[in-house]
Parts: sequence; C-alpha cells; structure tokens
Amino acid sequence: MKTRRDFVKTSLALGATFSLVGNLNSLFAAEPVTTPTTSAPTGPKSVLAAIRDGDRVTMLDKALAELGGIQAFVKPGQTVVIKPNIGWNASPERGANTHPSIVGHLVALCLSVGAKTVSVFDNTCDQWRETYVNSGIEKAAKDAGAIVVNGKDETLYREVEIPNGVKLKTAKVHSLILDSDVFINVPVLKHHQSTLMTACMKNLMGIVWERGVWHRVDLHQCIADLLTLHKPALNIIDAYHPMVRNGPRGKTVEDCVEMRTLLASTDIVAIDAAAAKLLGRNPTDITHVKIGHEMKLGRMDLENLDVRRHKLA
Amino acid sequence: MLRNPLKFARVALAVFVFAGFTLAFVDFRGFAPPKLGHALAHTQYVPGLVSLLVGGGAGAVIFVVGTVIALVLGRIYCSAICPLGIFQDVIARISGWFRKKKKFLPYAKPFTKLRHVFLWGTVAVALAGWGGFALALLDPYSNYGRIVSMLARPLLTVANNSIVVFANAAGIQSIYRVDTAWASAGLLILPAIFLTAIAVMSALRGRLYCNSICPVGTALGLVSRFSALRIAIDKTACTKCGDCLRSCKAQCIDLRTGTVDASRCVACYNCIGACDEQGIHYRFSWKKSPTTTTPAPDLATAKAITPNPQRREFLATLASGALAGATSLAARADDDETNSEHNQHCGHSRRHKPTLVIKGEDSPAVSPPGAASTAQFLDRCTACHLCISACPTHVLQPALFEYGLEGLLRPKLEYSKSYCLFECTRCGEVCPDGAITPLSIEKKSVTQIGVADLYLGQCVVRTNGTDCAACSEHCPTKAVTTRPFGDNLRLPVLDQNLCIGCGACEYACPVKPVKAIIVTGRSTHAQAQKLVEKQAPAPNPVGDFPF
Repeated sequence: MKTRRDFVKTSLALGATFSLVGNLNSLFAAEPVTTPTTSAPTGPKSVLAAIRDGDRVTMLDKALAELGGIQAFVKPGQTVVIKPNIGWNASPERGANTHPSIVGHLVALCLSVGAKTVSVFDNTCDQWRETYVNSGIEKAAKDAGAIVVNGKDETLYREVEIPNGVKLKTAKVHSLILDSDVFINVPVLKHHQSTLMTACMKNLMGIVWERGVWHRVDLHQCIADLLTLHKPALNIIDAYHPMVRNGPRGKTVEDCVEMRTLLASTDIVAIDAAAAKLLGRNPTDITHVKIGHEMKLGRMDLENLDVRRHKLA
Repeated sequence: MLRNPLKFARVALAVFVFAGFTLAFVDFRGFAPPKLGHALAHTQYVPGLVSLLVGGGAGAVIFVVGTVIALVLGRIYCSAICPLGIFQDVIARISGWFRKKKKFLPYAKPFTKLRHVFLWGTVAVALAGWGGFALALLDPYSNYGRIVSMLARPLLTVANNSIVVFANAAGIQSIYRVDTAWASAGLLILPAIFLTAIAVMSALRGRLYCNSICPVGTALGLVSRFSALRIAIDKTACTKCGDCLRSCKAQCIDLRTGTVDASRCVACYNCIGACDEQGIHYRFSWKKSPTTTTPAPDLATAKAITPNPQRREFLATLASGALAGATSLAARADDDETNSEHNQHCGHSRRHKPTLVIKGEDSPAVSPPGAASTAQFLDRCTACHLCISACPTHVLQPALFEYGLEGLLRPKLEYSKSYCLFECTRCGEVCPDGAITPLSIEKKSVTQIGVADLYLGQCVVRTNGTDCAACSEHCPTKAVTTRPFGDNLRLPVLDQNLCIGCGACEYACPVKPVKAIIVTGRSTHAQAQKLVEKQAPAPNPVGDFPF
C-alpha cells in the first residue's frame, strides 16, 4: 500500500535526480516540437563548466568538480559507455580525434567510483583498426581499464524508432549506447567543411550505423532528431588544440591552434553553443545547434546558463 | 626422416615456404608484416622474370639464381619453393587419407608436345604484347595466390565472423568482425575452376600439372635435364621391386630402362628413402654426357633424351625467343617512359600499342599508386593478389573487364565500397614484381592515380537544399572544399590540381544511384599539386573566454 508519505518521498527523490543530471528527463518526455524557447527557464539553470590554461587532465578534473564530480554521473555497479571522436587515421597532435589523455583519464575516473565496465567505441570514418591505433585512444583506454569495442560491426547496432524525430524516424544505434547505464560524450572541437563545426551534437553521428542517409535527407535536422531518442548524461569538449580549418579531417598540425580550453556540461546544446563561440562563430551559425535549441533539446542562449569560468593559469 | 636427410630438408623448407605464403595471402586482419609476402614472393620465378625483363632489381637476381640452382640441383624449386607445387603435395596427401589402398602411380610417358605448347604459347602471347595476361593465367605462384586470396581468405573471414559473438561474450575483444571481401561471382569462377582442376589432377596423378601444363615447370625441366645433381638408379643394386615408383609423384622413374626423366623429376627425394637396397642416389652427373649413360630402348625416352638436330634447333629457338621477349618487353618499358614524359610535356597521351584498352588520358579502371601507368602496370602485374590481400581498406579488388580482357583479375581501386587510405603504402610494399613500385608516404600523397569530377547538378546541397559535403569531409588533400551557398549552406568546390584520386569523396558521397562526385583513373599517373598552408590564425583573441 502506497502511503502519501511514500509518494512525497519518491517525488522528492525523482526531482533531485533530474535536477542533478540537468534536463535528462526530456529524453523520455514526448515533447511536441514548438516555437523557440525565449523565456528564461524556471528551476535550476544547467551548469556549463569552461576551463582554460591547464593541461587536459587538470582541466577535466576541474570541470567535473564544477558538475558535482564524476560520482554525480556514475554510480557503483553501473555500465558506462564513452564516445570520443575517433574519426580519422591521424596522430593525436593533428587534432582530428579526442586526445587520448582525456579518454584515458575519464575511463580511470569512472572505474575509480565503481563503474562495472567502461566501454569505448566510435563508428570511425577511416579504417577503424588503423584509426583506433594511430589516434592513441585504443591504448590509452585499454591501459586505463576500458573495453575497446568495434564500432564497425553492424551486428552490434540495433534498429530503433525515433518517434519525436522530425525527419529521422529510425536509426541503427550501437547497442552499447542503448544498453549502458551511463553515456558520456567526449568529442574534440573541430572546424567542419559543411556544418562549420563538429563538437558534441555532431559527434553522435558516430553512434549510428548508416550516416549516408542523414546526408541525403537533412544533416542538421537528423543530428538534432537523434537527440530526441537519447542524450548523453555528460558532455565534455576537448578544445586544447582545436582544428580551426580543413576540418573535420584536417591536413597538418598547422590547421590547429592552441586554445588550452575544456568545456563540460549536461546540456548538449549549451556546450555546443559555447564551442561555436570558441571557433569565432555565433551559435545560430551552426544550424543543428539552432535546431536543437528550437526543439528544446537544450539551450543555446548562454546568458541563461550557469557558466562557471576558470582560468588555471 | 633422418634416414633421408635430403627429403627432411626439402619438407622443412616446403613447410616454411607454404606456411609463409598461405599466411600472407589468407591474411584477412593484417597479421602478416608486409615484408613477409614481399620477401617470399621474391623467390618466385615469374615475378623474378618480370623484374628481369623490366630492368633488373632483386627479382631479376632471384630469377638468375633460380635458374642456376635448377642447373645444379634440379627442380627443387617445384618441390620446395613454388607454393602451388607444395599445395599439390598437400592435396595428394589429404586425398590419400580417404583411400583404403595407397595409390600407385606407374611410370608415364612425358607429354612433351603439350608441355611445349603451353610454354611456347605463353612466350608467343607475351611477345604479342599480352605478357602480363599470359603470365597471370599460368604462373603457378600467382594462381596459388588467387586461390587463397579469392577463395580461402573470404571463407576464413566468414568463419572468423561467426565466432565473434561468442568471443565477445567471453570478454575477448581481440576477435572482431571483418568485412568479407568476396570478388564478384563472375571472377570467383576462375580460381574455383583452377582449384578444381589442380585438385583433381594432383589427387589422381601427383605432379601432372607441373609436368604437362605449368610453363615454369617446363622451363625448369629444360634446364634440370642438364643439372649437375640428378636422381639416378644404381642398376647393380636395383631389384626392380617398384618401391621407388610408389614414392614418385612425378611418374618419371622408368624401371624397365632404369632411368629417371630429369626434366620431370621435381627433386622431392622421396625415392631415395624408399629404396631398401640403397639403389637410388642423388648423384653428380656432369662427368658423362647423359646420352651415353642411358640406353634408349623405347621411342618416347629416346625422343626425350637423345640429342637430335631438331632438338638442337628447338633449344636455339628457346634461347632466341627468350632474348626477343626480353628485348621486346624492355623496349616497351622504355616506350612507357618516353610516353609518360611526352604526356607531361604535351598534357595528353596517345595509343602506343594495340590492346583493347583505350590508352588515352583516362584509364577505364584506377590502377594502384606506384603503378605509374595502366600500360606498364598491365605489363608487369601477374595478378598474384598479394596486394589485394594486404590492402587494409579492401579498396583493391580484382578487375573483370574494366582494364579490358588483358587486365582480367588485375587489381584495381573500387570506390563503391571503400577508398585508398591516405597514409597507407602497403600495396607497393608487398608487390614482388615492380608492378606497384613502393612509394614513400610523401610521394604517394601527391601521386595522382585518378581525378575526381564534381557533378553539382546531382549534389544534395543543390537538389535537396540541405548541408552535406561528405566529399569535402573525407578529402585528405583538400582538393574538395566548400563555399557559402544559399541559406547558410555550404556547396562543394573541387580543385582537380590537388586531387590524387583516392576515391574518399566518391565513397562518401551519399547520392544514389549515381554519385555526384566520381573519380576517373589516369592512364599515366601524374603528380598532384600540394596545398601548403601556414599556421592557421586563432579565431578569437588569445587568453580569454569568448562567452
């Protein structure tokens, strides 16, 4: 028999959980696509941690501390999937992939708070074996104790419906994303020849099997549509040495500039909006960020966010 | 084995060679270092001959050394170096397991005419300008390569993929799914027919293929009949028990005359150990002329070993034929070079030899980086498929008639399912005969094997009014970039001077059924321009947050 007291307790606990992980509840809520959010949000603002001028690992620690520490996201016994950008067969200094030190440290942090398993994968653009090895990510992740999983195995992907997608109605999503308890998105910040920027939202193209159809249908809309299915619990952007031209593949290290910045947030649209600024763009220039905001997948109006800026030097 | 140390050595060498080749060709996961296949293939006669004809190199040395070895030791090559020869022994042995009684192969008359038809047919076709084609069809090494690369490799991949689920469930991530690279059914028929033929022949008649069809076997037989060391029967010890016959896979021991046909003996040394009377020896035989030691009781043997004016004439033809072939191929190699120079000066190409391929600026298929030109590539490549097995992206696929009939089975770059990895030079590292010359990464990254054409009328950005630029995303040289278009869109822009023809753009283009960016091969590879850019400027004032 459920007493009133029980009900109140459960409600409070639920409320607390959701406020902790930001607006993760929109994951399950079948919200209608409506007009852009213009009014300031009620309730607690999402936190965007923006750190500068430290080494990658220190900045990551500082950013996570602002968000309540890794233990706010990973509970003992949970399974974690980390999705870096491992798109291209390039060495770490080329800035085409997430830096291995960030991936390695993140894996270690998750395990240190009792994660059952930590898996790392990407549906690479270049040949996956070469890319996993030459990006340095496979070694860093394995050394830290992660399971490095093949992202080029179609049998590991499952077809799912996307009821709230505007143009993307189904997608084959990697089972690790569908089955893991915690999903952490950790791309590198890069220029992109068509979308102008690739950061957190676009990085999730690497969790689906068939991307060609996205390009045929409407790239930006599909990127936003996928988020109506599943949003990462935590987003981290490696902007230490971002690629500012010739992206997303890049040619040489000259395509990158030293920015020594790291961003972290539970709001995937907000973090991408800040990332756009880092590349000298307005958030509205990046069509998928704009669509994400309009679809209430997050906020691109940084003035309505709790931005915590830290310079470590 | 120790009773017969020669056989032990032969088997040990054969096992090593066979295992090495099989690993290199069956390697669906890149286990084998590129050097393995490359080094082993350098022991092979036909790639060596090609190297010799096109102007030297290590392969040429091997060809000469191989000939000298045959002149000293006999056809040890066929026994322990040729993977197809060893493969036939393997088949014969396995087929033996399914027989109740051991198969007895009696002495057989040589197929002298047939052998020479195949050998001289190959030489004639090569002289007619179809050298690569003829060699590709009959070279035993290349045939073995194709059997393993086209049939065994995909089968093993399927087997691997079927256990991936169980391995992953058991926590083993080192076993993973690999794309199964089947060639088209029309092409698979070729190695399948060859495999069937060679399996039947070797199961029923031992080394029949080597002694009737194989041009390398016949050519080495012409040398080995004069070899210094030969298997010989000691007639005083011989009891004509037939034990040696039972052990002979070449059917070349004639007990009635007590002779061994050295042109067909593959120097397996089985008979030496089989003889209880110690009546068979591997003997130095240059002391006496072979004709005086052996009587010629029947016509067949007489034909094979008695010198006669016709045979002398025939041998002379052989020598002059080989010379003519060498001169012809070498001349064509020169011609290719002058031709490519000519192209660079005039910016166009011309037909320089009559083949089915139109040797204009465009090649009907994209040849691998390092091939220099389609014509040179087709002259040199024996379609052994070592590069196809080694290619990590599977972009190298055997051609059907894309190069013309002449280019059947030769590797081409197929961009519908993959593209050439910018930082990879593996095909040139493994190629044994200079068909794909090894290129440094720096050289390869500017080697234009083809050029892309952009068809903006088909491009998604125009037809659909949405962003795409998958082509530009994948382009490693930034030959494809984008420019602002319409309402905050980016439209692809192509600079063909920077394009190396790697096919990444074509592969990535989502337009169906015909892509909006398509690479056409260059019949003579050229040098692309390289875009060198200075350090990119920082997008924001350094040192602070822009928000």
